[in-house]
Amino acid sequence: MMTALLDGMAQLFTLMTMITMLLGVIAGVIASAIPGFTITMAIVLTLPLTFSMPPLQGVATMLAVYVGGYSGGLISAALLGIPGTPSSVATTFDAFPMSRNGEPGRALALGIWASFFGALISAVVLIIAAPPLALIAVKLGAWEYFSLIIFAMTVVASLVGKSMLKGLMTGLLGLLIATVGSDPLMGVPRFTFDSELLANGLPFLVVLIGMFAVSQLLSEVESTSEGTRDNQACMPGRVTFHPMAALRETLSYPVNLIRSSMVGVFIGAVPGAGGSIANLLAYDQAKRASKHPEAFGTGTPEGVIASESGNSATSGGGLIPMIALGIPGSAVDAVLMASLMVHGIGVGPRLILDHGDLVYGMFMAMLLAAGMVLLVCMCSMRLFLRVTEIPKSVIVPVVLVCCVIGAFALNNRVTDVYLLLGVGVLGYILSKLDYPLAPLVLGVILGPIAETNLRRALMTDDNWMLFLTRPISLALLVLAAISILLAIRHHHRQRRIAQAA
Amino acid sequence: MKTQPTHSFDTTHSLDTGSPEGEPLVPAGRANPLAHIMLNGILVVLFGYFFLQARDLPSSMWEPLGSGSFPRLVLGLLMLINLAIIAKELRNLKGRSPGAKGQAAAWIWRHRLAFAVLGLLAGFILALPWLGFAVASFLFIMLGQWMLGAISLKQPCIKKLCIAVVIAVVFSFGADALFRDVFVISLPRGLLG
Repeated sequence: MMTALLDGMAQLFTLMTMITMLLGVIAGVIASAIPGFTITMAIVLTLPLTFSMPPLQGVATMLAVYVGGYSGGLISAALLGIPGTPSSVATTFDAFPMSRNGEPGRALALGIWASFFGALISAVVLIIAAPPLALIAVKLGAWEYFSLIIFAMTVVASLVGKSMLKGLMTGLLGLLIATVGSDPLMGVPRFTFDSELLANGLPFLVVLIGMFAVSQLLSEVESTSEGTRDNQACMPGRVTFHPMAALRETLSYPVNLIRSSMVGVFIGAVPGAGGSIANLLAYDQAKRASKHPEAFGTGTPEGVIASESGNSATSGGGLIPMIALGIPGSAVDAVLMASLMVHGIGVGPRLILDHGDLVYGMFMAMLLAAGMVLLVCMCSMRLFLRVTEIPKSVIVPVVLVCCVIGAFALNNRVTDVYLLLGVGVLGYILSKLDYPLAPLVLGVILGPIAETNLRRALMTDDNWMLFLTRPISLALLVLAAISILLAIRHHHRQRRIAQAA
Repeated sequence: MKTQPTHSFDTTHSLDTGSPEGEPLVPAGRANPLAHIMLNGILVVLFGYFFLQARDLPSSMWEPLGSGSFPRLVLGLLMLINLAIIAKELRNLKGRSPGAKGQAAAWIWRHRLAFAVLGLLAGFILALPWLGFAVASFLFIMLGQWMLGAISLKQPCIKKLCIAVVIAVVFSFGADALFRDVFVISLPRGLLG
């Protein structure tokens, strides 16, 4: 372990890696400060830039964007009352009132420190939890792996969106998309219809860019009743910082900080439940435990600390299942996983055994990125405030061009760009009808793993009952059934409440 | 074209999947369930066709499943879910009255910018191989900025036009040079061949 850690650090602490990480942090903060521009989009668009980098440098740069992104959403949440990303919704509850009460600098500084400690705590938990979990995971057979994927898919389908049926539909659609192209065991072409476009399958990253970036950007340009808050926004000129006072204030709520960070880590590790749930849950828990719950929503520091440490801690939590099991918990983790695959590194429980230097380098990169975010935000917050003023009329065409570059650069194929357009249109239709897109993306990346393990299990022994008689496999399938039943119960309860109302 | 406001956000959906807050997903009345029924109806037919196609995929003497079984399993489940959604939306449809006349047209009008940008994107992508990345993306960014209101032909402003041109040059010719010279990835050259 020590050798791997030192190897990872040697690769990480090079000038070029540090520079690209710093640029990644800045890009992440800027991207998530722009309302409507999400962390997922930022990570997706960073990916093509990392193709020519060594694996650790590429992943570390993307992790920097990831960690920076969770902190950047704070800026527009605190000063404009608009969450830059869905993961900073709860930040608006107290950070914005605090800014409106004439303390925007305090709100920002508290949020930055809370984000830093959240990311730090999550990185420590990741370092402690991932290696032992991976050692257990390497002992799992094909039956357990297939059941694990079923469990992950059902949890994602039941957690995202308003309807589990729709979540399951898009998850299965993702699995179907993954079957296009060559069969993973026999190499037989499937659903290609002798078309050059489909011959190599539908590349995961093109699907991801189309689904998340193109469809989201199209939604952004609709003529909606928006932008009504400019008159309420806090002007950047009024912001004054007292970082050390904010640090002391943040540390004066140690229980809140640790509890919210642990909520973030746990939620991040659950497939499908990312920062958007973590920040609300951490905020709710802080309010329940507070001696002054009535102060929540009026600009209390407890609320800002809970929300920001909760959402930032999901970054480390999300990496636990990805590194230990090869199961990405969110679309962002799926992109990180894909970036490793682009470099020819197989992701799964053997990752930590075969590429220990890379994994420990990633752990260190998380810690380093958290420190860089702190530094960057404290030094240049006023500059980032200007970012929120960039009009959508500039952002949309520029980001669409970046999407096209990303889709093309993966395989140098124009056909992938045509595919991007098709997937973007499909994603737009699905999102307009309220179908969640995250299960689809996870389905695309988990599809080949699920199929390979199912077929391997049955090649070993064609008895289907083994899925139910092997204890871990059974436990995972029972958990999958429970997650579906809980979602159905929740749905019925919501319907009864709605009918009663 | 009207200038678009700077900000929009969505607090109603997690994981970046939804549409902006307050915006009806489709026109009110029966349109929403009908849209679901149409989409899932089309998908059932499509998945049924794929299911039949998957039956022709070869089996293997080394394994019980073969290359067609997993897709058939997924397609079978998908069709069941599509039918369940259709059944659910049919129940929703019964309780609703038809929406007011002209709602569909109003909905399309509200989404005109999205459709226009989509059309422009399609044109950009189709023109990419023969115009080349640099020229096509320059034109796309300029037209996109005009379409979304960053520059206006009716009330031309030299400063805004200069900013728009600089942005377009940086992200077209600049990006082309960056990828070619720094990342050694050659984007389509087209006219600049």
